[in-house]
Amino acid sequence: MRKYLATASLLATVLFAGGPALAQQGITDTEIVIGDVEPLTGPPALLGVAASIGHKIAIAEANNAGGINGRKIKYVLEDDGYVTARTIQGVKKVIEVDKAFAMLGISGSGQSIAVMPVLEKAGIPTVIDVAPVKFLWEPPRKNVFVVGQSYEEGIIHLVKYLADKNPGKKWGLITQDDDYGITVRDGFDSVVKAKKLNVVYSGNYKKGQQDFSSDMLQLKDSGAEVFLAGGIISENIAMMKELEKLNVKPVTGIFWPGRVEPVLKLMGPAGNGIYAVDYVEPFAGEAGKAFLEKAKPLVSEAEFKGINRYTMTGYAAAKVLISAIERCGKQPTWACTIAELEKTKNVATGVMAPISFGPGVRFSNQKLQIMQADTATISFKPVN
Amino acid sequence: MQYLTQLLISGLAIGAIYGLIAMGFAVIYKSTGLVNFAQGEMTMIVAYIAWTISTTISGNLFIVAAGAIISAIVLGLVIERVVMRPMLGEPVFATVMVTIGLAVILRSSINFIWDAYPHGLDVGFGRDIVRVGNIGVRTGQIAVIATLLVLLAAIWAFFRYSKFGVAMRAVAADDRTALLMGISAPRVHAAAWAASSVIAGIAGVFFAITYDLSPAMFQLGLKAFPATILGGLDAVLGSGIGGLLIGITENLAGGYFGSGMKEVAGFLMIIVVLMVRPFGLFGERDIERV
Repeated sequence: MRKYLATASLLATVLFAGGPALAQQGITDTEIVIGDVEPLTGPPALLGVAASIGHKIAIAEANNAGGINGRKIKYVLEDDGYVTARTIQGVKKVIEVDKAFAMLGISGSGQSIAVMPVLEKAGIPTVIDVAPVKFLWEPPRKNVFVVGQSYEEGIIHLVKYLADKNPGKKWGLITQDDDYGITVRDGFDSVVKAKKLNVVYSGNYKKGQQDFSSDMLQLKDSGAEVFLAGGIISENIAMMKELEKLNVKPVTGIFWPGRVEPVLKLMGPAGNGIYAVDYVEPFAGEAGKAFLEKAKPLVSEAEFKGINRYTMTGYAAAKVLISAIERCGKQPTWACTIAELEKTKNVATGVMAPISFGPGVRFSNQKLQIMQADTATISFKPVN
Repeated sequence: MQYLTQLLISGLAIGAIYGLIAMGFAVIYKSTGLVNFAQGEMTMIVAYIAWTISTTISGNLFIVAAGAIISAIVLGLVIERVVMRPMLGEPVFATVMVTIGLAVILRSSINFIWDAYPHGLDVGFGRDIVRVGNIGVRTGQIAVIATLLVLLAAIWAFFRYSKFGVAMRAVAADDRTALLMGISAPRVHAAAWAASSVIAGIAGVFFAITYDLSPAMFQLGLKAFPATILGGLDAVLGSGIGGLLIGITENLAGGYFGSGMKEVAGFLMIIVVLMVRPFGLFGERDIERV
């Protein structure tokens, strides 16, 4: 009996006294694990690799400063190849096998949505930064926070700006035949109704389409003077080159997934003056230059070349997460990290407007800005 | 009229790209009886190699072209020797699955070797716009149409008059009899893979010059496959013409009926043609005596 009591009391001591530190996964005396799942192969690697570089920069910065309260951050990154089934598999692996303490990422919009039940069930603190869509924060999930701005708001902001700048003009729109395209179209349609825009061309292309000659000829034939190019990367390049070939240059707006400098380089003169909307700072501005300076010693040469706007979104999300874990002190727990994330108020990251969440608010709702392309310097510059 | 002309020219240009890749499909099928599902990926790899040559060695058009052709030959030969030859005599299903696996590996290699960014292949040619009235066409588009036509003539002459061309036709018709006649089937297969890689690579390079280079480029193979079905899977010249027909049909449908019809039109045409000629427009009817 005495032996049984001794064992029971020892167990109780372990569970209740030292419990929180031992019970929480992903933390040792020297290390804290942060997991991530991104598309690192295939065309969407353009965003996945760049976002992971942003996470790495924030983590390297924190580790160089001594880590989170003395613990170095270990970053575990999985490739999902932009395949939803692999995203789910990857997230489960990071949580159950690598025992991550918190998560960043995660892949594209469809992949984040699909993985939501896994994240909710696990209860792991998560900051999503790659593809902000409303479903991720409406309704708010206890442990999932989203840094960014919604696609729909982005489009509304851009179309309103272009409409105010070009009153009475004829409009053209082309979108992709998927959830991304639907979101773009929904945002566009809401402004069309509100501002009674005259839409003379409305096209819908199949994902993966590479030749836009007939689409752009139709746009030209319609007489559109303002054009919302709803492609992502290669599609927008092909559209602008076609328009150049057809000798027309409507006022053109593109959305942030395609607002990366290599795209501008490929568009050449055809891309000069196009408008874009975004919530991260352009690299041509002071904040952008300062970020690049900061990043240079923290990543490899190859990684530095892979930096784009998604690096900034990844960096900001990682900063917010690291800061919340840090505020939990020596023994961070999931409950404390989630509570601290919720208390996030005006956290400055230098790459976008200060980030805030709040009770029941899981979306940072970043301020948007309009930029204009300058092909001479291969950069986007703010216009408002 | 101007609208129609612009649609036709653009359709011919993209159709020529499809046609070249489709010819690559047909060369392998005609010589080995195999459908190579990695054709689009081979197109993409050769274009990436050409881009690497242009950015690291020289941007001179002839150096890039020579480097790309040599690389394409090596790629085709390596695939045939390392991946396909061990599959000789195995069930067709297994061999086709190997080409699908090869496609996935080649596709993924882009990110491992290069990156996910789009790139432009700059060889100082192909991007200028030639204008006749209000019709615009890039020099690269004119060049790819001309290249397809030259290749069609050259391949016709090769199969018709050259000894090796006749040997390839013999292996395609009956490899056992060809073997008894002293023709080396493995040698013919290797030559077919090399030739297919070069033809597809030419398409990839022209596409990269005129449009851009990105990891999504392999999808050209998916567009070219219907062209080879339309022209006839065993008809190299027919596949080239099939590509032109698909390109024109797609563009006319897209231009007159909207973007949605662009994707469907080519397949609609294939369904109609295959209902009338199941072996394609220029394919040979397979006669079996029982």
